[in-house]
This record gives sequence, structure tokens and C-alpha cells, in this order.
Amino acid sequence: MIAVFAVAPVVLLTLLVGLRGVAAIRTTSDFLVASRRVSPLLNSAAVSGEYLSAASFLGVAGLVVKDGMGALWYPVGFTAGYVAMLVLVAAPMRRSGAVTVPDFAEARLASTPLRKLAAVTVLVIAGLYLVPQFRTAGLVLSVVSDGPYWVGVVIAAVVVSVTLAVGGMRAATYVQAFQFCFKLVLFIVPAIWLLLQVGPQVRHEAVHPVEFTHFTRETPVDFGLEVTLLLDEPLTARTGDGAPLDIPAGEYRVAEGSTVVFPAGAPVPGIRGGAAPGGPDWQRPLLDPSHAGHPLLGTWAVLIATMLGTMGLPHVLMRFHTSPDGRAARRTAAITVGLLSVFYLFPGIYGTLAKVLVPQLYLSGATDTAVVALPSQVDAGPTGTVFTALLTAGAFAAFLATSLGLLLVVAGAISHDLVPGGLARLRFTVVAAAAVVVLLALPSARLDAGVLVTWGFTVAASTFCPLLVLGIWWPRLTAAGAIAGVAAGLAATAGAIVATLLGPPVSGWPAILIAQPAPWSVPLAFATMVVVSLFGRPPAWSQAAMLRLHLRERHDLGAGRGADPGHSSFSARRSSAARRILRRLGR
Amino acid sequence: MSPHRRVAVTSPQTRLAHARRRHRTAWRPPTMDPAEVRQALRVYRAQRARAVAALGTLFGLLLGLPVLLWLTPGWDEVRVLGIPLSWIAIVAIPFPAMVVLSHWQLRRAERAEDTE
Repeated sequence: MIAVFAVAPVVLLTLLVGLRGVAAIRTTSDFLVASRRVSPLLNSAAVSGEYLSAASFLGVAGLVVKDGMGALWYPVGFTAGYVAMLVLVAAPMRRSGAVTVPDFAEARLASTPLRKLAAVTVLVIAGLYLVPQFRTAGLVLSVVSDGPYWVGVVIAAVVVSVTLAVGGMRAATYVQAFQFCFKLVLFIVPAIWLLLQVGPQVRHEAVHPVEFTHFTRETPVDFGLEVTLLLDEPLTARTGDGAPLDIPAGEYRVAEGSTVVFPAGAPVPGIRGGAAPGGPDWQRPLLDPSHAGHPLLGTWAVLIATMLGTMGLPHVLMRFHTSPDGRAARRTAAITVGLLSVFYLFPGIYGTLAKVLVPQLYLSGATDTAVVALPSQVDAGPTGTVFTALLTAGAFAAFLATSLGLLLVVAGAISHDLVPGGLARLRFTVVAAAAVVVLLALPSARLDAGVLVTWGFTVAASTFCPLLVLGIWWPRLTAAGAIAGVAAGLAATAGAIVATLLGPPVSGWPAILIAQPAPWSVPLAFATMVVVSLFGRPPAWSQAAMLRLHLRERHDLGAGRGADPGHSSFSARRSSAARRILRRLGR
Repeated sequence: MSPHRRVAVTSPQTRLAHARRRHRTAWRPPTMDPAEVRQALRVYRAQRARAVAALGTLFGLLLGLPVLLWLTPGWDEVRVLGIPLSWIAIVAIPFPAMVVLSHWQLRRAERAEDTE
């Protein structure tokens, strides 16, 4: 029932707002960048709405339960990415006149292979990001409604692909901006209600955490995945249907889908690769998720990956192309920093309360559901149910808004960059891509969403971030250098991912650098681009191509150009004339 | 939105034809007026200096704050309104600082473009 009340309004509102945005769409540019007429305030609300995915709405609070207060560095990095975007990328990239990131690469470096490589990179990043969104939509719906997993995945896919195929970027803009306000209210109001409702005892425990060593009351734990528990002494618990369950000391494997009820006062079993929440390391405001003993390096690695990764996320970059000009794009980035800062004041509240009220989630690894699980712990009556429904609705809105943007960049990458086609093919690609993502999401219920999204950020940080920064600020960049750098970044992150999945276990600082390769893969990509470019020679027009990005657009065409007789053969506008000037000034 | 938007008056068929063929046009090197080149170079240098300063501040703030918290474990014990000071520091320092930094940089970048 909760699911119907929570999800049906979100789905209906999404479709209604999306249809309101449907306007005459005739060209690819209308479809992909909403004819470039989105004002900074609306665009920044849409950027924030698109960016606040399940990872922000549910994930950060869950990470606080699992990894400690240091997890609050994630939102800092997420927001800092927009400051970096404002400083380095927003305005010049918009002035390139491109529609997608591969488009920008071609406009700046005139290389078709680079464009194709960039399009493939877009598909990799979007895939890593989109599959977990659909998966989490299915999981949250199956948790609150006891329905099968695939229903939630299919509902999400249908809503997103219909809205996009009909309305394109304009519909997506209105939906995302609306959903930002929706999510902001649905995140802040329950947080304040929870704080007022929990009582002074819980509030005191929230800021004076004690390590979670004994169950304070009889606690049922649902194990959605197979988990190996480590026990110091034998323990008598109960299964979900009340039968007694003797757990011997040592390692004990809990089967997938089973429920174990731990009695009050029993010691909390350990799990491999995790520490009980509330301990001294948990309280430190630094991040050391793999317990490698290098909290400073761990924190820096996360900050660099999230900050530079945000700068290279193709769906966020595409939103900046909907601004009318470079200045509007820059203002969009500045307003976005403010909007995100308001939202990110609150995950800490959920995280500290969840540590007190539902610490057992760390045993089953389901810390992502901490936010949704809180209201029923505080109020077992109808009020608690209402707030659970509100938070579920917010989480579902988070999946929809993010998936809209991601599906649009996938469609853009396929039928604008890889196999250029018309508008009909774009609409068809949206639906086809959604179907493929559903097929990918169905078997991946067991994957860790946070890990996949972090990889997406890392790939973006080590490919598009150097491409954009050097493309905008370094005139000597060549197409060969850009291709080599993007390929090196892709190979480095792919190698790190393979090493994480299949490689031997490592400990200490190498573990951090393999799990979180951004601190070395980003410099590697930058260095490859610079070195390969220095061996080559940039074409004669490359300096003009870069400088053009820093020049304000002229809206008053004709005025202030007295010497120009108005026809295109005016000799001073030839590229050789510009080069002559540059040679004189550039020294 | 620009005050004077120029609209090409063509038949819907022509517009469709243009839209269909646009992606196949050959890439042409960008052209600039000599006056524009001088100005673009000036703006580029000004923006580059400002970007380096802003980026230095951002990195100093974000990579420096963990070092500060690492060096001062005593902040975990100091409490403001009952909350450990080090927890407040992760939320209450970076976010306001980033909002201020982005508005400062926005104003400087726009001013650099305005001086013509």
C-alpha cells in the first residue's frame, strides 16, 4: 500500500509535468538541448534535481552508518565539482556551440575518431551510473510493497522513456526542476520531524555514539544477500518463523533471503571487511572505508574522485548546453552550488539517527535503506507510515530525475555521435536504450550501487575532466594527445576495476589506490595528453579555436563591426589574418 | 534569451531538410576578426589568472581541512551545542565557503569579460 501512495503520485506528476514541457520539436538540437532557452535559475534547479540521485538521497546516510562520519566528505566533493565546473568549464564549453561532450571534442579538435571514442566513454559512464539507478528503484519498491523486483525496474523504465521520447530535453528540464523542489521538501521535512519525534535520549545518543557491540532489544535482521558472520561465542537466535537457530562460534554463513532474530543483550557478530558502527574510527571525521590505516589518503581520494568526476559527468555537462549563452551557463553552476549546499546539510542528520535506531543494517549490508527505515522506528502508527511513504516518494523521484538525464545522453551518444541520424531515430534510441538497461538491471540486484556509481565518477574524472580542462585552457592540445589521454584514463580505471574484482587482496595504501584510483589515474590522463600533444604539432587554427571559447557571444550582430562590409569573404576574417595577429601578440 | 533573435523564415520542409543534413556538413576552421583575437587573448589571460586563484583556494580548502582535522583529534571532544566540533567542521565550513567562493568567482569572471 505504501508503495502505491508513494510512487503513483510521483509517476503521475512526472508524466504531467513532462507533458507540459512537450513543445514542437523539429531538430536534434530541440530534442537534446531544449533549443538552448533554459534560464539559469530553472536550469540550476534541473541540474540539482538530476544530480541528487539515489546515491545522495539514500546513499550518503547509509554510508555514514557503514563507514562513519567521514562519509560526509562525499557530499562536499559532489558540491565542489560544481565550483570547479564554474571556474574551468561551464562558460567556455557552452560557447563551443556543441550539443554533447563528443560534439565539443570535435568542435575543438576536429577529429572524428576522438568523437567516437568520447561517445563510447559516454556510454561506459552512463551505463555504470544508470544500471544502479534502475536497480535501486526496483529494490526500494520491492522492499516497501513486497512485490517482485522486476516490477519496480520496469515501472521506472517506462516512465522515464515515455517522458523522454515524447518531450526530449525540454520535458526532462521541467521534470528535473520540479523534482528538485519535491526532493528538497521530502528530505528536509521528515528530517525535522524525526529530530523532534525521537526524544532527548536518542538525540543524546546520536551525538555521543557508543560502539554497536550488543543488541539493546530483540532485533530481526533481513539478509537480502548472503553474508558471512564472525562470532566469538556460540549464540542462540531465532529464524524468521520463530524456530530456534543455534549459531556456532567462528564463521557462520547466512543464506540469501533469510531472516535472523537476535535476542536482546546478545553480542553483535562481526562481518568481514567491516567494523561495527560507533567505534572510535567511526567517530573520526575522516574516511577510511577499507580500514587501511590511512584516513587522510582515503579522504583525499574520495574528494578528488567526486570533485573531478562531477566535472566530467556527461549528463550534467549536457544540461549546461541548454543555457542560452556562456554567462547563463556559468550562473547556472553558481546557483547550483547554493542549491546543493542546502540539500547536503541534512544527510548527516539521517546518518547519525540511523546509527542509533537501525545500526543492525550494517550486518546485512542494506544500509542504503536506512533513510526509509527510520520513520517506522520512531512512530509505529499511521504518522510513521506517512513519513515512510514521503521518503519513498522522494527516493523514487531521485531515480527518475537522474535516469532521465542519463538516458538522454545515451541516446545522444548513440544517434547523434556514433551513428548520426534524425529525430525519429533519437526517440527510438531512447526507448531501445531503456530496454537494454532494464535487461542489464534485472540480473544485477546483488550489485553494490555505491561501488558502480563511484566507478562511473572515476571514469568521468580520468577521461572527460582532462579533455575539457586542457581543451579549454591549453592551445597546444592535439587530437592525438586527447585520444591517447582519454584511452589511458579508460584503461587505467578499467584495470583498477578488474583488479578490485579479481585481483589478490591487498592492504594498506595500495588498497585505497586500487579501490579509488582517481588520485593517480587523473594525473596519468593529464600527463598522457600533455606529453603526446607536445610530440605533435597543433594545427594552425587551434589557437583561434581555443580563444573563441573565451570570447563573449555577440548578441548585437552587425553593431560594433563597422569595418566589416557584411559578406563572408571579408579578408580580415580569414583564419590566416587571425593567425598573423596571434603571432604578434602571442610572444 | 537575446533581445534580437534572428529567425530564418523558411518553409517547414526546408527546415526539416536543413535539420537532417546539418550533421553532415564539413568541419570548418573557426574564423575571428583581428579585433576579436586581441580581445579574446586579453580575456583568456585574465580568466586564466582568476581561475588559477579560485582553483587554488578551492583545493587548499578541501584538501587542507582533512589535514587540519587529522592533526587535531582533540576537536572530537570539544562540543558545541552537544555536537562534536569536528563533525560540525565537515558540514559548516566547506558548504558556506564554497557558496561564497563560487559567487566571488562568478562576479570576477563576468567583470573580466565586461572590460572591453
